[in-house]
Amino acid sequence: MTINLSLSNRLLLAVSLVLTAFLGLSAFSLNNAFQASAESAQRKQLEISKISLLTALEFDEAGRVTLEKTANPKLNTPNSGLYAQVTSGREIVWQSQSMLGLFLALPDHPGGTNEKFSIIQLNDEETLLNLASGIIWENEQGKEFNYTLNIAEDLDTILQQKANFQLSLWYSLGGTGLMLLFAQAFILRWGLRPLHDVAIDLNAIESGDHERLSTNYPKEVNQLTQNINILLDHEHSRRERYKNSLADLAHSLKTPLAVMRGEFDMNHNTSNLRKTAHEQLDRISALVDYQLQRAATEGHSSLQAPVSLGEIIHKILGSLDKVYQSKNIQRQYKIEQDIFIHADEGDMYELLGNLLENAYKYCSEHVSIFISKHDSTIEIHIDDDGNGIPEHAQQDIIKRGKRIDTQAEGQGLGLAIASDIIEAYKGEIHIENSHLGGARFIIYLPKQ
Amino acid sequence: MRILLIEDEVHLREQITQQLQQQNLTVDAASDGEEGLYQGSEYPYDVAIIDLGLPKLSGIDVIKQLRTKGKDFPILILTARGRWQDKVEGLEAGADDYLVKPFHFEELSARINALARRASGWSSSTLTCGPVTLNPTAQEVMCDEKEIDLTAYEYRLLHYLMLHAGEVLSKTVLTDHIYEQDQDRDSNVIEVFIKRLRNKLDPNKTLNPIETLRGRGYRLTLPRDH
Repeated sequence: MTINLSLSNRLLLAVSLVLTAFLGLSAFSLNNAFQASAESAQRKQLEISKISLLTALEFDEAGRVTLEKTANPKLNTPNSGLYAQVTSGREIVWQSQSMLGLFLALPDHPGGTNEKFSIIQLNDEETLLNLASGIIWENEQGKEFNYTLNIAEDLDTILQQKANFQLSLWYSLGGTGLMLLFAQAFILRWGLRPLHDVAIDLNAIESGDHERLSTNYPKEVNQLTQNINILLDHEHSRRERYKNSLADLAHSLKTPLAVMRGEFDMNHNTSNLRKTAHEQLDRISALVDYQLQRAATEGHSSLQAPVSLGEIIHKILGSLDKVYQSKNIQRQYKIEQDIFIHADEGDMYELLGNLLENAYKYCSEHVSIFISKHDSTIEIHIDDDGNGIPEHAQQDIIKRGKRIDTQAEGQGLGLAIASDIIEAYKGEIHIENSHLGGARFIIYLPKQ
Repeated sequence: MRILLIEDEVHLREQITQQLQQQNLTVDAASDGEEGLYQGSEYPYDVAIIDLGLPKLSGIDVIKQLRTKGKDFPILILTARGRWQDKVEGLEAGADDYLVKPFHFEELSARINALARRASGWSSSTLTCGPVTLNPTAQEVMCDEKEIDLTAYEYRLLHYLMLHAGEVLSKTVLTDHIYEQDQDRDSNVIEVFIKRLRNKLDPNKTLNPIETLRGRGYRLTLPRDH
């Protein structure tokens, strides 16, 4: 199952997780570092206390130990938290006054001149850090006495410090985290705002308030909205074409229908009736064909993938060669490498199919096709050696299919369809006299 | 000349069948792609008319499969969609010509005759062998400028013999090409038709237009006139 989270929720969730992990790890390592440094400071402190105690301790010839003077007042204050004890074997030789009332056997006897740190739990409340060191004292007779000096300091202060540190760490990291989250939420809102605006904009189009999306968006979103606008324009012009061809079709069908109805009403001569019916049926059929093709024209859009004109022409010529096989047509076909155009494949088939078929149909034996490429346009020449088109008719023939309902089937229909497609692509078509003797059709199409 | 018509629209199928039969052509009609493919693979045809939008198997697939099976009779496609992309696809699949609906029957008939002529090496629209001329459009047979009156089957037989003038045609081949699939056939009838054709074309026994090759069949001996 996939949960469909909104973009901002996704980002927020991801950022929160990363933030939590990051802050948690920092808290953990900061805490560790603090503890390590606090412990080492405590140990150092204990070492110093030991050294000052050692200098203050007096050993007499018999090995008895006394404290010469008050080295550290804490040692003389009961329960001060700093305790010291000198033992020889199991016998306590000396202990500080701070230990009065405490039954404390400081445990470690590392021997020799070794040192050993350990943690001692005293009663229930007190935890002590203990430093045990072996001391060898030699009297003037050269007799050696072995002692163990245990000096212990309670850890309450360090534990307290640690607790304080952890508390402030918790507050500051938590605070930072929350602040970052709020900042993040704000950044997201601000950053994703254009997307939100696009959605509102699209809704406005849906409800008919706008026709296009605004172009006032950040760069990244603008590319998207521009493409959507292109699609909208394309769709719009296609809808217009549909609407127009439907209206044109309906209107233009009325004439032949009226003619037939009139004929039925007044004519009792069946052969005349047949003739009129045939004529009008042909007209209706041509109208339907033409308007259907017009409605099916995709039209230009810069989102279309490029199609190869060379391939399309090659296929159409292959088909026409087959169909007009018995006419033994000599054709010349010249194309400057392959030429690609951003257009609908079906439209290009229709355009070139109609023009080339006319050439094959009306030539006597020669057809020539020449395609060349300019900076922004493609130029297509289609020549034949047929009867040609008289100059005064040349303009009429390409003046779109508006007068198609008065034209006969044949050259007119194919050309009307071709001119409509050329118009939909903002191209041009011209008719000239060909060097072959017939008509030359020159088509310019924009490449993009 | 035997025609295969594959068209799913009942009215159009019946109209075309009737009109082709009135032109003295032998017609087998199929109403879907599978049936059409079966008939086209099993029986010998001179021309096939195939609609592109067929149920069960599309016209394009029927054409492709017929061509894959080595059937090389000419194929005319009928299509309601006059888009060039469809025409090109049909012709690339192996068809030889196309006609967009609606069409005039004369146009269809002319295309069929042209395809049949082209396939058997004729270039003119009327077939002329020596003094005999056959006009498939008018269904007229002239011999030495005189019109010859033929029955439907005599005409069908002569049309086929003239299309294949110079070739040896067995009785089976002739029967196959003048009778529809579901008609009762009797190959002995061919002998009778041949005899009648000889009498009608050559009453004076000077021309000897059709020769009999024992055990192999018949041959129109008159030279083709292009």
